[in-house]
Amino acid sequence: MYVLRRLPSLLATLFAVSLLTFLMTSLLPGDPALQILGAENATPEAIAEVRAELGLDDPLPVRYLAWIGDALTGDFGRSYRTSEPVAEAIIDRLPVTAEVGILAIIIALLVAIPVGMLSAYRAGTRTDKIISSTSFGLLAVPNFMVAIFLILIFSVTLGILPATGWVNFTDDPVQNLRSALLPALSLAIAEMAVYTRLLRTDMIATLQQDFVTMARVKGVSNRRILFRHALRPSSFSLMTVAGVQVGAIIGGSVVIETLFALPGVGRLLLDSVVQRDLLMVQGVALVIAVSYVVVNFTVDILYSYLDPRISHGRSAARV
Amino acid sequence: MRGHRRPVRVSGKRVLASVGLVGLLLGSAACGGGDGDDNGPAQEGTVEDVSEQGDPVEGGEITVGLEAETNSWLPGEGSFSNSGTTVAYAIYDPLIKRTAEGDFRPYLAESMEPNADLTVWTLKLRPNVQFHDGTPLNAQALKTIFDEYLTAPTSNVKNTLADVTALNVVDDLTVEYVLAQTNAAFPSVLTGSPGWPFSPTAAAAAGEDAGANPVGTGPFQFVSWQRDSAFVVEKNDNYWQEGLPHLDGITFRPIPDEDTRVSSLQSGDIDAMQTLRQSTVQRARDLDGVDNYEYLGNNAGGSIINSSIAPFDDLRVRQALAYAIDQPALIDVIGGTGLTPAATQYFSPDSPFYSEKAAEAFPTYDMEQAQELYDDYINDPQRSDGEPVGTDLAFTYRCPPDPTLNELSQLYQNFWSQLGMDVSLETVEQAAHVQNGISKDYEVQCWRVGDEQDPYVTLKNAFTEGPLNFTGYTSPEIADGLETLRTTTDLAERQEAVAQISLDISENVPNLFTGYTLTDIAVRDVVKNVDGWTFPDGTEGDGVPGAQAMWGFVWTTE
Repeated sequence: MYVLRRLPSLLATLFAVSLLTFLMTSLLPGDPALQILGAENATPEAIAEVRAELGLDDPLPVRYLAWIGDALTGDFGRSYRTSEPVAEAIIDRLPVTAEVGILAIIIALLVAIPVGMLSAYRAGTRTDKIISSTSFGLLAVPNFMVAIFLILIFSVTLGILPATGWVNFTDDPVQNLRSALLPALSLAIAEMAVYTRLLRTDMIATLQQDFVTMARVKGVSNRRILFRHALRPSSFSLMTVAGVQVGAIIGGSVVIETLFALPGVGRLLLDSVVQRDLLMVQGVALVIAVSYVVVNFTVDILYSYLDPRISHGRSAARV
Repeated sequence: MRGHRRPVRVSGKRVLASVGLVGLLLGSAACGGGDGDDNGPAQEGTVEDVSEQGDPVEGGEITVGLEAETNSWLPGEGSFSNSGTTVAYAIYDPLIKRTAEGDFRPYLAESMEPNADLTVWTLKLRPNVQFHDGTPLNAQALKTIFDEYLTAPTSNVKNTLADVTALNVVDDLTVEYVLAQTNAAFPSVLTGSPGWPFSPTAAAAAGEDAGANPVGTGPFQFVSWQRDSAFVVEKNDNYWQEGLPHLDGITFRPIPDEDTRVSSLQSGDIDAMQTLRQSTVQRARDLDGVDNYEYLGNNAGGSIINSSIAPFDDLRVRQALAYAIDQPALIDVIGGTGLTPAATQYFSPDSPFYSEKAAEAFPTYDMEQAQELYDDYINDPQRSDGEPVGTDLAFTYRCPPDPTLNELSQLYQNFWSQLGMDVSLETVEQAAHVQNGISKDYEVQCWRVGDEQDPYVTLKNAFTEGPLNFTGYTSPEIADGLETLRTTTDLAERQEAVAQISLDISENVPNLFTGYTLTDIAVRDVVKNVDGWTFPDGTEGDGVPGAQAMWGFVWTTE
C-alpha cells in the first residue's frame, strides 16, 4: 500500500525530470550542427542542412514530445556525434559506473560502520577524537585529489594497481577488480567520512536509550548490544544519506571516470555535454535522474521495513 | 626486409613544419630552411632526448595513451584530431604524405600529377593493394568513397572537397580529381581524412555502424573498440609494404587527464603517450627511461581580435593591445618557458614559410608605444566607436573554462588594464566559444591558429570571406599573396607570397600570439623508431607532427 501511495509522486518526479533535462540541454549554447561538421566545414548552408536533417529547427514542444514518446519505448535515438544508439551506449557503460559506485558504497560502509560504532562507543575519548578529526579531514579533500594521491602511491610508487584503464568483468574478473579498486576508493573516501560521522551521532543517541541500559543490566555483551540492538535503530540517517549520496557518487563519477580513463556513464555525459551531443546528454541525464529517484524511492521503502511506523503514516508514533 | 636508417634519432629542430607543396611530385628541389643545431643545449624547441634505436625487432605489442577519444573512424564522419589521426595511421594509409623537407609525395598512391593549369590532378594507385577485408584498392573504390561518403550531405569533409567538381575513373588504377579552379595546394587535402581510402564494401555492409568498424589498407587491422576504453588493432599480414609492420598489435587507450596519462606511462600501464600540453612535455623530459619524440609545429596559442567591429576596426587599438602584452610572461603561464619560442606569425621558425621580416614587424612588448597608440585613439574626435573623447575602452575577453586559460586571461587583463582599458573576463564553454568565433560574436578571445596544412589552405581559411575568417580581417595584399599560392608550385614564389601575407598580418595585428605548440610522443625507451617512418622509395618522412606517428614503422625491444 505504501508503495502504491508513493507511485504517483514518483511518476510526477520522473516527468519533471525528463522535461527539465530536455529543456536544459536544449537551451545550452553551442550548435550541435557545428560540432558535427567541425569549424572547417561549417558553412551556413551546411549548418542549415544538418539542422534540418536532425530536426533541430522544430519547435521545442514538438521535439520534446517526439523524444519522450520514443524514450518511453526505449528508443533514445542515435548520437549526433558517434551515430551509435543512445540506449546501447548507456547500457554498455552503465555496468562500469554501477560497479565502481557500488564498490565505493560497500567500501565506505565496511569502513564506516565499525569505525562509526567504535567512535560512538568511545565517545569523548582520544580514539573518538582521532576518528572525528580524520573524518573531517577526509571530508575536506576533493575526490580528484584523493585519486591523484592514490595513483601516486599504488600505481607509480608501489606498482600494484593500474593507474588508468578498464578490464571488463567478463574478460578477466581479477583484473576487473584491480581496475575498479582505485576509482572506487577515490569515491569512497569522502563517503566513509560522512557515514562515520552520521552513524556516530545516531548511535550515541541510541546508546543512551532505556532498552540499551536494560540490555546492559541484563549482562548482554557490548558487541551484542552494539550490533544486535543499537545498529538497526541507528541506521536511519545513514540509510537516508546513503540514498542521497548516490547522486554524489554519480556526480563524482564524472570526474573520477575521466581521471582513471574509465568507459562509464559519467565520462560519456561529460564528453557529450562538451560536444553538444544533445540526444546523448538527454538520454544519460534521464537515466541518471531515474536511477537517483528509484534509489531514493527504494530507501523510502526500506524505511518502512526498518520502522513499521512509517508505512502506517507514522500513526503509531502519534499514539 | 626493409633497411632501417638512423641508429640515433635526432629530433632537434627538424626542418619540417609547414607544407611546401613545392616541387610536389614533380621532382623539384627541397625547401630547406631549417635552423637546427642538433648538438646544442636543450633550450627552446625540440631537443635530442632519444635513446639508441638499434635494429628493428619483430613482434610484441604496445599500449598507447591518447589525449582523447574519436567519435567515429569513418572519414567524412570522424572528427580526426591529433589523437584520432595517430590511430588512423595504423588502420589507414594516406594517399599523400609530407616529406621531412616539407614536400608532398605519394605514399599509398603511386603518383599524382597535375595538368598544366593545375585544375585536374591525376592520381595513380599502386597495383595489388587490398583492404583488410580483401576488397581491392582500385579507382572504382576511390570513386565510391568520394561519391557516397566524402561528399554526402552530412560529411564533415564536404567543404574541404568543395573545389572538386568530379572524381573520374580513368582506368582500373587511375582517377582524376577535376577542380573548379586552379589549386596548387590540392594534394595537401589528400594527406587528411579525404585521402584515407577505406573499404567501400565493408562500409556499405556495416551501414550506420561503419564508423565503429574501420577497414583500411593500413599496417594494422581493426580488432575491437570499446569507446573511451580501448581501440585494439593487430598486424596486417598482407600489408603492401614488405617487412612492415614490426609490431604484432597495438592498443590505443584514450586517457584525457594529463596527469594520469603521465602516471600511466611511469607505472608501465602504457608504453607511449601523446601530449600537446607544454607543461606535460616538460614533465616527460624529466622522466627516467622515457624517450621524447618532439615536434615544433605551426600551431600557436594566442588571441583573435574582432576587427569587424569598433573599436577593434581601428589599427591603433589592435596595435595597442599587441604592444601591451609581454609574450614571455604569457608563455610562462602555459608552461612553455624553455620549450617554445614566442610566436609572431602562422608559421614556426622551423617552417620553410617562416618570415624574419614578419617576425621583426610584429609588435613586441612596449608599454610606452601601447599607451601612445591607445591615448591617440581615445582622444580622437573621430574615434570609430563614437564614444566621447577621452572615454576609456571597455570590452570583454573570453576564454573556455580551464585553469591555465583563466590565468592567461587574467594576465591579459592586467596588461591591458595598465593602459586604462576596462577588461571584463568571461568564461565560455568550448562549443559556444567556437560558435562565437564563427559568428564573430565576440570582441577579443583566446584562440589557436596555424596548422601543418599548405599555407594556401591555412591562410585562405583565415583571411578570406567565410566562416573561418574569425577576425574578419582581409586586405588586398593578402588576396594578392593567396592568388600566388593558389596558382604556383614554385617554392621561392610561394615563400615570398607567404612572407607578404605574414608581414601584412604583423602590421595589422588581427591576431595576438603566445608561443608555438611543442608536441610530444613520450615512450618507454623500449619503444623505438617512433618518428623514423619513410616513404616506400626510402624518402624520409616528416616525423611526428602533432604527436601523430606512423605506427607501422615502430618496434619494441621488449
